[in-house]
Amino acid sequence: MPEYTVLAVVAVLVTIALERWSGTRLFMRLQFWLAMAIVFAFQVVVDGWLTKLSSPIVLYNLEHHLGVRWPWDVPVEDYLFGFAMVASTIVLWERAKRSRRADPEQPPAVAHDHVEEDRWTQGR
Amino acid sequence: MDRYQYLLLMAACLAITLPLEFVLGARVYRRPALLVTALVPVVVAFSVWDIVGIWRGHWSYNPLYVSGIDLPLRMPLEELVFFVVIPVCGLLTYEAVGRVLRIVRSLRSGANADA
Repeated sequence: MPEYTVLAVVAVLVTIALERWSGTRLFMRLQFWLAMAIVFAFQVVVDGWLTKLSSPIVLYNLEHHLGVRWPWDVPVEDYLFGFAMVASTIVLWERAKRSRRADPEQPPAVAHDHVEEDRWTQGR
Repeated sequence: MDRYQYLLLMAACLAITLPLEFVLGARVYRRPALLVTALVPVVVAFSVWDIVGIWRGHWSYNPLYVSGIDLPLRMPLEELVFFVVIPVCGLLTYEAVGRVLRIVRSLRSGANADA
């Protein structure tokens, strides 16, 4: 398998491990998946611009990825890269928020900032 | 102007997501300590990945569309900007979605109370 493809899959696996370790249960929340869907939609546009073969900003070596590009000329590996980057940021953000809340040295969190479980995940 | 294309694209991402902070009340920029805590490991990890990618020849950057300012280990400045800007956009989206969901839920529970 091409190197970029392997690294992109590894990055997603590391992100899944990070989410489990963090105890945030972010992958069970509607808020997270809705945000990721919006990020994905914008990624298609931004990444489409970066990778378009007519006048690319970033050039990919065909040796190191699958060569599957969709839509336009976006290498599919980029979606794994993007997911890993944004999801792990949100995991670390949520984790930092919670540890701050648990720390008595810090001022109490503001009211609207409390943790909510999504109803749709009940029973899973 | 063309050589600022990548940087301008990043600026556009920041501009488009700015209302999430100030209209929808995402409160990402207004929690800088939290933001730095979440960002630093991601910026470091993805910069390492980028440098490995450049070194192994996975990708390269079109000199026509980048500023030409290189950081150590041949990483273009634009890539560092990318690893800050895109995660910030992700956090703004995540927090804004949270705000909207809370508003929807409170409206719904208000409607239930009226019924």
